[in-house]
Amino acid sequence: MLRSMKLKIVAIAMVAILMTFFAQGTLAFYSTVGKATNVVTSGEIQFIIHETTEQGTAFPSEGVYIVPGDVVSKEVTIENTCTHPFYLRVKVVYGVNAQELSAEDCFKLNIDAEHWEFHEGWYYYKSILTPGETTPCVFSHVEIVGDKVDNRYIGKTLSLTVSAHAVQSEHNPITDGKTYTASGWPME
Amino acid sequence: MRRIFCIIFILLLCFSLPTMAKESSVTYAGDSGEFIFTPGSSQSPTDLFPAFKDVMPGDTLTQNITVRNEASKKVKVKIYLRALGAQAGSEGFLSQLGLKVRAASDNTMAYMFDSAASETAQLSDWVCLGTLYSGGVVNLEVLLEVPVTLGNEYSGQTGYLDWEFKVEEFPVENDDPVPPTGDTFNRPLWFAILGGAGFLLILLFILRKRREKA
Repeated sequence: MLRSMKLKIVAIAMVAILMTFFAQGTLAFYSTVGKATNVVTSGEIQFIIHETTEQGTAFPSEGVYIVPGDVVSKEVTIENTCTHPFYLRVKVVYGVNAQELSAEDCFKLNIDAEHWEFHEGWYYYKSILTPGETTPCVFSHVEIVGDKVDNRYIGKTLSLTVSAHAVQSEHNPITDGKTYTASGWPME
Repeated sequence: MRRIFCIIFILLLCFSLPTMAKESSVTYAGDSGEFIFTPGSSQSPTDLFPAFKDVMPGDTLTQNITVRNEASKKVKVKIYLRALGAQAGSEGFLSQLGLKVRAASDNTMAYMFDSAASETAQLSDWVCLGTLYSGGVVNLEVLLEVPVTLGNEYSGQTGYLDWEFKVEEFPVENDDPVPPTGDTFNRPLWFAILGGAGFLLILLFILRKRREKA
């Protein structure tokens, strides 16, 4: 009886071993999975507006005292600080801290018309500003117009604010070399 | 002369570096070891998309990925790919971008994936890239399309999308085709030369014996 049981166990074990061999012939040896986390990043347009004096020092943030007829040195340039070329436009906004007065016509700027083109309130840089490049001065001097700045302006603060917009030049063709025809200029 | 060679070498290196930098690879080393993903990036050590950085509206960029089997010669492997889609927080940005994937050797232009980058689409389930013997490769071509209308709100964004690779090892069978190894060994010619050399040796040996007897 015991011998018969042993024989059965041996027979079953043999069958199991044979099945294992056959199974190995059809199954894969190993299987493994690996995960890759892929990253896509989008670029951005960045620039800095530099405002300096003709001595090369930064234009004083607190402003300067002026009298009618003064010519103030203020050199405004824009530097491309990103890795993409772009088109550029600049706007000059005038202000005065008195509601009854207007700052329009109080300033006279020596705009560099060779590099900047005026179109609908903006000065457009005529070329593409490449990465790391700085524009020529938009203007370098501001004249306080004596005929306009009369006694009413005594003690008042006149302001001149330069703002700029940029739009990528890659995949953005222009018409007739006019940079203002580029697509994507931000809404004001 | 040596200086000219140095200059040419440096120039060649300079021109080849940007190309090399854009390549990426997935390598299976065998014995159920892990996959090795290169080159990686500062954002992810397993990043396979070095070409898709700092993308701009209107860009159409290509990333080549080499999937390589470096397991032992006793096994062949089946390599599969599937997409897990965009990670949480990346869906908005990646849904704006088009992504296409195909095996570069397949000239039929049939893409195994053609959808928004945030989706899993045709790669929701495992897709077999091929059966590779030791040293075998599959070249994948991934195309990213950034619409020119992509808005300012997506500038300076980072999107993460996950892919999974799976490998199954099988023993190499006797009736398996010989994998192309690049070896142009002309077996019949070399056996003929071997036979001829053996015949000459025997002939010389016999002649020498006869001369000794004489």
